[in-house]
Amino acid sequence: MSEPMNNPIEEALKVIQSKPEGILQSELWKILDVDSRKCSRIVKKLLDTGLIERTEFKKEGIKTYVLTVSKRPLDPAQILAGEDLIPCIGCEDECNVIECNRLMDWMYQLAIAEAEETA
Amino acid sequence: MEELLSNKAIRAYLLRIIGDEGLDLLSKYPDNNEYSDEELAAKTGINLNSVRHTLYTLYEKRLAEYRRIKNNETGWLTYLWQLRMDTIYDSIRGDLERVLDKLQARARFEEENDFYICKSCGIICTFNQAIDVNFICPDCDQQMAHFDNEMLLRALKKRITTMKLTLGHA
Repeated sequence: MSEPMNNPIEEALKVIQSKPEGILQSELWKILDVDSRKCSRIVKKLLDTGLIERTEFKKEGIKTYVLTVSKRPLDPAQILAGEDLIPCIGCEDECNVIECNRLMDWMYQLAIAEAEETA
Repeated sequence: MEELLSNKAIRAYLLRIIGDEGLDLLSKYPDNNEYSDEELAAKTGINLNSVRHTLYTLYEKRLAEYRRIKNNETGWLTYLWQLRMDTIYDSIRGDLERVLDKLQARARFEEENDFYICKSCGIICTFNQAIDVNFICPDCDQQMAHFDNEMLLRALKKRITTMKLTLGHA
């Protein structure tokens, strides 16, 4: 019996990430200790996010899928809010993340950039 | 190199790490061969100390590497440097992982607290801190008002989601 899962989707992703060569969907639901229908729903959600890919595979004449982690290029723009680089990069101050004024300024920029995007 | 430096996020990242002179060195770097720091200073016209500082900083981020050769006659060591800009995405990924943890901690704090602001000097306090000072700004004695952080929190949470996505977290 496996330990209780906090988030089955995260749990499934971790299992798939730990197998660079991929894992059969028919093995995944046994590892996760869920039934195959529930596993299909989890896999569907991961496929929708684009975090994993699946290809058809026949094992002993039965159709299943090989699940692999998607190779996604990193989006460097995630470190920017508008034109402003997040202050944490290269910061040598003692980190106090809840009182950092520079981070607060960056968060304002983020909210402004977000509002401009949706406008 | 030109292509990398034309990406504004990568440019901003490198600017933070190595400064203006460092970016200058990268844009003038002759080609991706091995050079000593003195050769680089001569070829680019950038001060030798600045070249060395940039190379060491890039080395710490695994964005440059060196090979040490020894002159058998004099016994002097020469360091031949080569850029490893092919690892820039790995470098940013490492920083992004650390940043993500910080942003998640900040988002939790923003979510779990109610805030009050002094509209005169801009100081922001949590509800508990504001109670302690009777909702009077400790800096300028003005009445404090409720501060709605909903927009900030929404933007922060959205960014956390997109960061997780690009890092391959669920």
